[in-house]
Amino acid sequence: MSRRAGIDDSKRNLFSWKSFMISGGLFTVFLVAFLQFKREKMLSLEKERRRSMGKASIGGQFDLIDQNGKPFSSKDLLGKWLLLYFGFTHCPDICPDEIEKMVKAIEIVSKLQDTQEIKPVFITVDPDRDSAEAVKGYLKEFSEDIIGLTGTKEQIEAATRAYRVYYSAGPRDHENDYIVDHTIIMYLINPKGEFIDYYGQTKTAEDIASGVSMNMLKYASANKKFSLF
Amino acid sequence: MMMSYPNKEQRTKCYTARDGLWNCLDTNEDNREKCLQIRKAFEDQCPPQWVTHFDRKREYLKYKDKIENEGFEPIDQTKNEDKK
Repeated sequence: MSRRAGIDDSKRNLFSWKSFMISGGLFTVFLVAFLQFKREKMLSLEKERRRSMGKASIGGQFDLIDQNGKPFSSKDLLGKWLLLYFGFTHCPDICPDEIEKMVKAIEIVSKLQDTQEIKPVFITVDPDRDSAEAVKGYLKEFSEDIIGLTGTKEQIEAATRAYRVYYSAGPRDHENDYIVDHTIIMYLINPKGEFIDYYGQTKTAEDIASGVSMNMLKYASANKKFSLF
Repeated sequence: MMMSYPNKEQRTKCYTARDGLWNCLDTNEDNREKCLQIRKAFEDQCPPQWVTHFDRKREYLKYKDKIENEGFEPIDQTKNEDKK
């Protein structure tokens, strides 16, 4: 009987509440320190990436015309996420590929979550030829969901300037056709109308979808009332 | 009057013709003489601007492939003298 008491005693010493609390407390301290360190690292990485994209901010207001010929302002898109691509209807292969990629990325994101809405947006860099009607017909063959925008030369100049989009119409041939050389980047804009991320030609639809989802999660948690970290 | 853009159907026809040409050239070691008919079909299906664009693209892709797989030789100055 005394032997059993001895064993029980040693058992109690190993698993006492006191040592449990101490190790639990130590663990929590380390966990908090680790998470804080990780957060700071991510913030500085993000800052570095932003810095490398140029000190001046990208994005902002634009006032254009939609594919139905109606005036359309960037304000009309607040409250939604946007994937924005600049292209033109006479584009040989890059624009069709990028637009299909954009649509597919959004399909993937919408399957993963349905609380935050995201829309694909196309803005032409060829206002001379891309009328509202042309843009409408062109985009319809990719998806009914894409918002197509055009405008006057000045309006397009303003929008491309805001997004630092390079574009340059090439020489016209005997059929009066020309190709517009332009920046091939998809921009991610949050519901507040802020530029958040960008995706180049080498990114697949899956890459873009996971980038977008990650940013949506960050946004959702940053905009929650109570957040642990 | 300005040309309308090639729609999806027309683009697909152009891409198919282009791929046919590139396949022909690949199997004939870029001997254009062997692919004249297919070349004509390609030029019929695609706007002239696109023909130029895809020709350039092929040159670029071939060059890229060569650099990646065969490497490259730095320029040998003595060789140029022989060419005179």
